[in-house]
Amino acid sequence: MIRLSVMVYRFDPAMDTRGRLVQYTVEANEGARVLHVLHAIHDSIDQTLSYRYCCGSGQCGSCAVRVNGEPVLACMEEARDGMVIEPLKLAVKKDLVVDLMQNIDAIAFLVPRAELVFPAKDEIDAIKPLRSCIECLCCISVCPAMDVTKFLGPAAMRQEIRLALDPRDSRDRITDSVKEGLFTCTSCQACWKVCPKNIEIPGKAIEKLRAFANKKGLTLPRHQEVAALVKETGRSVTRIEPTFLEQVGEVLEPYGTGIPKATMGFFVGCMYNMRLPKTALDAMEVLRRNGFRIIIPKEQVCCGSPLIRTGQLDILDTLKRKNIETFRSRGIDTVMTMCAGCGSTLKNDYKNLPFTIMDINEVLTKYGIEQPAHLPIRATYHDPCHLLRGQGIREQPRQLIRQVVDLVEMPAICCGSGGGVKSGMPDEAAALGKRRGEDIQKTGADIVISSCPFCEFHIAGHTDRPVKNITSILLEGYKEKDKKRQ
Amino acid sequence: MDCHVLVIGSGGAGVRAAIEASTYGDVVLISKTIVGKGGCTPMAEGGYNAVLREQDSCGIHFEDTMKGGAFLNDPELVKILVAESPQRMDDLIRWGAVFDVTADNKVAQRPFGGQRFPRTCYAGDRTGHEMMTTLVERLKGLPVETLAETTVIDLLKDSDRVIGACALDEKGDLITITADSTVLATGGGTRVFDISTNSASGTGDGYAIGYRAGAELIDMEMVQFHPTGAVFPYDARGRLVTEAVRGEGGILKNVLGERFMKQYDPERMELSTRDVVARSIATEINKGRGTKNGGVYLDVTHLPREQIENRLPVMLEQFLTFGVDIRIEPMEVAPTAHHIMGGFRITQRGETTLPGLFACGESTGGVHGANRLGGNALADTQVFGKRAGEAAGMSEKRIKNIDPRQIVAQRERLSRFLNGSVSPAVVARELQLAMWIGAGIFRNANDLRSTLAKIMHLPASDLKAVSERNLSECCTVQNMCLTATIICKSALLRPESRGAHVRTDICHAWDAATSPFAHTYISHSREGIERRATL
Repeated sequence: MIRLSVMVYRFDPAMDTRGRLVQYTVEANEGARVLHVLHAIHDSIDQTLSYRYCCGSGQCGSCAVRVNGEPVLACMEEARDGMVIEPLKLAVKKDLVVDLMQNIDAIAFLVPRAELVFPAKDEIDAIKPLRSCIECLCCISVCPAMDVTKFLGPAAMRQEIRLALDPRDSRDRITDSVKEGLFTCTSCQACWKVCPKNIEIPGKAIEKLRAFANKKGLTLPRHQEVAALVKETGRSVTRIEPTFLEQVGEVLEPYGTGIPKATMGFFVGCMYNMRLPKTALDAMEVLRRNGFRIIIPKEQVCCGSPLIRTGQLDILDTLKRKNIETFRSRGIDTVMTMCAGCGSTLKNDYKNLPFTIMDINEVLTKYGIEQPAHLPIRATYHDPCHLLRGQGIREQPRQLIRQVVDLVEMPAICCGSGGGVKSGMPDEAAALGKRRGEDIQKTGADIVISSCPFCEFHIAGHTDRPVKNITSILLEGYKEKDKKRQ
Repeated sequence: MDCHVLVIGSGGAGVRAAIEASTYGDVVLISKTIVGKGGCTPMAEGGYNAVLREQDSCGIHFEDTMKGGAFLNDPELVKILVAESPQRMDDLIRWGAVFDVTADNKVAQRPFGGQRFPRTCYAGDRTGHEMMTTLVERLKGLPVETLAETTVIDLLKDSDRVIGACALDEKGDLITITADSTVLATGGGTRVFDISTNSASGTGDGYAIGYRAGAELIDMEMVQFHPTGAVFPYDARGRLVTEAVRGEGGILKNVLGERFMKQYDPERMELSTRDVVARSIATEINKGRGTKNGGVYLDVTHLPREQIENRLPVMLEQFLTFGVDIRIEPMEVAPTAHHIMGGFRITQRGETTLPGLFACGESTGGVHGANRLGGNALADTQVFGKRAGEAAGMSEKRIKNIDPRQIVAQRERLSRFLNGSVSPAVVARELQLAMWIGAGIFRNANDLRSTLAKIMHLPASDLKAVSERNLSECCTVQNMCLTATIICKSALLRPESRGAHVRTDICHAWDAATSPFAHTYISHSREGIERRATL
C-alpha cells in the first residue's frame, strides 16, 4: 500500500459561493489511478464527494478531471502524491462533476441520405482515426478560442469533418462548421495534446475543414489576400523596410579563430525576415559568438504555414519544393529555424526531408553557449504554441533564459496570434492577447521573453512590458558581460 | 411525468429500444449515467456476430450458439437472434457506423471462440463504442426525451400491470414517470463479484427492480467469467482484455511457458468457448502455474506490429498506460466476471411475465443459454432492443393510476437510508468478496449456502446515505445484494454442471446435449428448475 496526500476541489452550489481545495490523505494500492484515490476518499473519508465515472477503462469519457491543471481521464492517470484534482474548466455542478451535456448536445449527428451508400475502404480509413472520440471534453476544457468567442469547439469540429468525409451523410458540413466557428481556431494544438485518444484535431479536422471551405470559396477575405501575396512574392508579408536577407551575406562565419562548432543552414521565415529583422540579426550575433557558421540561402521562401493553417493548399507543393531544393543543393544537413511556426511546419508538414530541422533553442542547448552576464531582471516566458506543442520544446528555452535573467513562470496558453486568427478574426486575437497581458501582469515580471515572431509581435500590443526574443536577451547578457570586462 | 414508452437503461439495448419505440409515441429514456457513456456497450471491444457471407449460414450460427450455450438457450430466441442480426447491422451502417471493411468494401469479420465461421464484425477493438456512438447520433435526431443521471429505484404498478417507475434525480429528489409500457434495458450485474469487467453501472439493478415488481427470472446462475481480465494494477483488476486478442492469434501460456490449452481443448485451443478457457486458466493458476500477479500470459508478440496497432489499438493503449508494451511483452490475464446469461423470462416480443413490462439485452435470459459466445451480446442488444421497443411502442395507450401507498413506501425506504448507519461502500465490498469466493467459477452447495447466509446478514436495510445525493448509492447496493441472492439461489437450484455453471459437488453422467434439465426460474411466487421434454 502507498499513502497519498492529495488536494481535491470541493464545491456544493447549495452551500458554497465558491469552490475550495481540501486536502485528503488515503491509502492506495500500487499502480492506483486518480479514480481509485477518489473512490478511497468517497468510501472511507467523505461520502459527499461527487465525481463522475463509469467504465473505469478509458472508454466512456465520464471521468475527465484536471490533475495539476492538465485534463486527464481519472481512470487511466496514475495517482501521485501531492496532486491537485480539479474539475474540467466547464460549468461545475458539484465538486468534480461538470455540465458535459451542453457541449455534447451541440455536437452534430449524421443525417442519412435517402438511399444507403456503403462507404468504400479508403473512406472508412479516413474516418476511423476521427471516430475514437469519447466526448470526455478534455479538449473543450483547454480550448482558448472557446473562452473568448463563439466557437463550438474541437470535439464538434472533429465530428464535422467525420461527417464531411462520410458519403452516407446528407448535410453540408463545411458551411455548418464555418458557422460554428471554424476560423476561430488558433491552431494552438492544446486540444490534441490533452486528447486521451490522441486525435489530431487541428491538423486532421480544422485544417481539413478549412481546405474544404477553400474549395467552396468560404476562405476569409483576409486569408485570401495572404495567399495571393505568397503566390505573387513568395512571402506572406509585404516589405516595409530592408529585410534580414538583404542585410546579411550568404555565409556568416563565427567570431574568433577556432574551428566552427557546427555549420547550420538558416531558415529565417517571413516574419523575422520582414517584420522583425533586428531580432534575427541579434540571433546571428549570438550564434557567431558561440562558434556557429551560418549559411543563409537567399532564394528561400515562405514555409507555407499561413496557407496550411487556413486551408489554402494550391501552391503549397511549389513552396515546399523550392525550400527543400534551396538547402539540399548546398549540401546542408541541418537547417535551423528560429520562428516556432516555420519550425513546426518544416518538422511536421514537410515529409521525407533530406536534412534535419532544429529550432534555435535546440541548437543552442545541444552545443552549449558561453555564459552571459546575469541581468538584474525578472522575466516571464511565453511558450509559443508551435514550439511547445508543435515541436515539444519546453525545457530548452527555459535553460537559456535562466542563464541570463530570473524566470517567473506563467501558464502556457495561446496568445491568439496563430492559425490565421490575428488577420482573420482580429477581435478574438485581441481578446486572447488581452488575457495574456493580464497573465503577464500577474507574474510581476519586468519583461516578457518568447521565441516566436507572431507571439512577440502580438503580445507586444497587449502588455506594457518589453517583449524580447530569447536571443536578444542573451545578446544583452553578452553586451553587459563585455562592458563589465572593459 | 407521463409518456407512452419508458425505457430504463441507456446502453446498446436501451437506446435501440428507444429509437424503435419513438415511431409510436413519446418516449422517455432514463439513464443512471449519461446516455452513450453508461452500460457495458461502449466498453465492448471485440465484435458483433452476423451472418453476412454466402459461405456462412444462419443455420450454422444457430448451431454454434446453441452448442456454445450448452443447449440451454431458448431455440426460438436464438433463431430470431441469428436471423435478424444482419438486418440490425444494416441499420447501424445506414445510421453511420464505421465498421472495419475488407479490401473489397465489405464489412470485415474475424474469428471468435466457439464459432465455425469468422462472423464477428468489428471496429478495431472498440466495436461497442462505435455502435454506441452511432446509436446516440441516431437518437439525437429523434424526439426522445432523455433523463440523464437519474436512477430508477422501483417500478410503479397498477395492480398487476407495470405503469412506469419512480426514480431519483441527480440531487436525490424522488420523481415518478408513468408509461403505457416500460422497457427494462438495465444490462448486467457482474459488479456483484470482486473481479468484474463491468462498468460502474453493472450492478444488477434491473434484475432486482423487476424481481421486486414480481417478474420472473431464468437461469440466473449462468454467469460468464471472461477468460481474460487484467490483473494489474490491483485497482483496475478484471478490466476486459478482449477475446479479439485471441481472435487475432494471441496465445495463452502458463508461467512455465507451456501452451496449456493443449491439455484442455486441443482442437479449438485459445478459441474454445469462454467457459472452457476461463476454467482452464483458473485451473492453471490454482495449480500454482500462474504468474506472481496471479495470472497467466496472453502473448501477441509473434504478430506483426501493424496488426496489433490497427486491430487492437485500445488494448495497446491501455496496456501502455499500465507500463506493458504488448508488441514486445506478454499481457498477464486471469478470469473476470463478465456477463450474466440469465435474466428476465421474455417472449419473442420482449414481454416479461408482468403485463406492461418489457425487457431486452443483458437483463434478459434465454438467448445465450449457459454460455454466451463472444460477439453475440452486441447482436442481442440490437435484435431484441428493436423488438422490445417495437412491441412496447405498439402497446395500447391506457389510463394509469399510481397507488399512493407505493410512493409512501418509497419515501419510507429513502428516509431509512438517511437515518441508516452502515456505509454502502463497506457492504458492497463484503458482498463482492463473498460472491467471488463462494459463487465464482467453481461452485458447490456448501459454499453457495454459506454465501447466501453471508448476504442475508449484510445490513442492506440499514445503509447510510449522508445526503439526498447519496440515496441512489444505497438503492444500488440493495440491488446488488438482491441480485447476488438470486444468483446463489439459482445456482443451488441447478444440480448439474452446465456451460458456465460448474458444480464441483455433483457428478452426473449426462452431457449438455442430454441433460434432463432446462431453465431454472425464480420470482416472488415460485422457484425451481424445469425438466426438459423428452429428447
